[in-house]
Amino acid sequence: MFTSLIKAFTNLFKKPQTIDYPLTPILKDKEYRGLIEYGEASCIYCLKCEKACPPGSILFVPVENPPENEKNKKGLQYHYNPYLCIYCGECVRACPKPDEALWQSNKKPSIAIKSDKVNEDWFVLEKLKKEE
Amino acid sequence: MKKIKVSLEDITNEIQGFYDYKKWHFLTLNGLALEDNKLEVQWIFSKYEALDEIVIYYAEIEYKDIIASIVDIIPSAIISQRELVDMFGVQVEGSSKGLYLDEDSLQAPLSGCSI
Amino acid sequence: MSKKTINIPLGSQHISLLEPVRFKFECENEKIITVDSDVGFVHRGIERACTTKFKFDAIGYVVARVCGLCAITHSLSYTAAIEKLLGGEITAKSKYLRILLLELDRIHSHMLCLSHTCENAGFEAMFMRIMGDRELVMEIQELLTGNRIQFDYISIGGVNRDISSEISKKIIANLYEVKQRALGYMDEFTNNWSLSLKFKGIGALSLDDAYMLNAIGPLARASGLNIDVRNEIEYLPFDEVGFKMQTHRDGDINARNLVRLNEIINSIEMCNNILEGLPEGAIFTKLKGKPKGEAVIRFEAPRGELMYYVKGNGTAMLERVRIKTPTFSCIPAFSHIFVGENYADAPAILASFDPCLSCTAK
Repeated sequence: MFTSLIKAFTNLFKKPQTIDYPLTPILKDKEYRGLIEYGEASCIYCLKCEKACPPGSILFVPVENPPENEKNKKGLQYHYNPYLCIYCGECVRACPKPDEALWQSNKKPSIAIKSDKVNEDWFVLEKLKKEE
Repeated sequence: MKKIKVSLEDITNEIQGFYDYKKWHFLTLNGLALEDNKLEVQWIFSKYEALDEIVIYYAEIEYKDIIASIVDIIPSAIISQRELVDMFGVQVEGSSKGLYLDEDSLQAPLSGCSI
Repeated sequence: MSKKTINIPLGSQHISLLEPVRFKFECENEKIITVDSDVGFVHRGIERACTTKFKFDAIGYVVARVCGLCAITHSLSYTAAIEKLLGGEITAKSKYLRILLLELDRIHSHMLCLSHTCENAGFEAMFMRIMGDRELVMEIQELLTGNRIQFDYISIGGVNRDISSEISKKIIANLYEVKQRALGYMDEFTNNWSLSLKFKGIGALSLDDAYMLNAIGPLARASGLNIDVRNEIEYLPFDEVGFKMQTHRDGDINARNLVRLNEIINSIEMCNNILEGLPEGAIFTKLKGKPKGEAVIRFEAPRGELMYYVKGNGTAMLERVRIKTPTFSCIPAFSHIFVGENYADAPAILASFDPCLSCTAK
């Protein structure tokens, strides 16, 4: 009884468990899994990441003005959908040149709104990929 | 893992003879769509406090067959039987439809034949 | 005078429920006499998706989405089944890291269940305290795997991330803290009136009924049934890291809480043993080939036995993935326990089962 009274009294002056987000930023470890980032210059266009991705959020689609890279013989361009990605990191493990061509950061995606047309644009790309 | 084949008529007798409720633990009923519109139904058991001892009784049936219920021997089998009815569209004695699926959903999603 | 019965539903939306489930109770005055249940509110068709939409190497991530709380057991069971079919051997270090995460998962899941039991007893303050302390475990899981809920830590052939000495120091420090708190809860759950006496003798399941209804997990162990899959598999070395079966004889809500608390303490010991004697070596071995044949794999999820049946035919698409989840096979036992209890006790009894409906309906 006595100890519970003391506890109740000290609890009155304790700080809350929760953080005052967005005023205080959430601490992020550098190892946390976030967005996948891509370095075009080092990519050798082996398409291993595209095959490894479980939800299919990396697509290499042929375009008219492909990025200038001597390894890119088919004229492909890298596309990534952060809203479909599950951040598992399979692509980075499949990549023959991790840290240079493909790596995982600890950033989070921005919030998408309707005018961004994330779904519509992605469906177009998926359709292109199927036709190929 | 031991697999024992039984015919559909014998299944209740076989399980009645085999199942001792203090020795064997009934895991689940499993269905497996085969070719030529056939279905393999498996009754899976494991032994209490034994290392990896699993026994599977299985029977090959057609979709129109009625599967005998084992609820009299193992009361907890009712839930697995209802799932089998929902997922494969077969008939099991005394087990009603509608554990997972609603009227407007895809019927018998795991059966091999076209829907 | 003829006896009149009334039907009272519990769910699918109810203040005491975390997930949608509906029980229809037929009551005579306050006593429940028959129970009917409906569990399929969150059916997502994952079994079908596994055989039609995804290749076998991606399914480990698909089945992890069956349930948020025991995600790790699902992906572990599936991966173990595929490893069995491919016939590869993984390194000792990855096996120990798998147990480590499995036990951390069990600790936080049991803490969630205990806090929820407190909430249903009307003890809000204890609910807040346990949920606050649960953050200690969530924090180290996040450090170890890089994500808070969906760990995606296990892949076919090993684990995805190595453990550094700073992380293992942090884990030991946090688990020491959690152990002190758990011993404190033990005192509360045995001596506090609202958590112990109120729960004694309520929702009891006898040993014979537990055998009869094939109960599993903490529900069965609280009735004295020695069933723990960690004791019955040789795939992961649980006996080496100090696993002890925790049982109780009473079978009521209080017994279930105590079994869970003892398991938390045992899991903390196991984690400490793993970190002390973690072998050196690689964490990943590449396995080649396509799965062919059938495999049955069982693991102990926080709520009981989880079974995977996987059949492959030598191609990238599997023929069948059968998921038997713990709550699913406990439903007959749940319905049995409700009969004869007061309707007012139903939410507390339901919380003590720790039901996971997104697992059940898959």
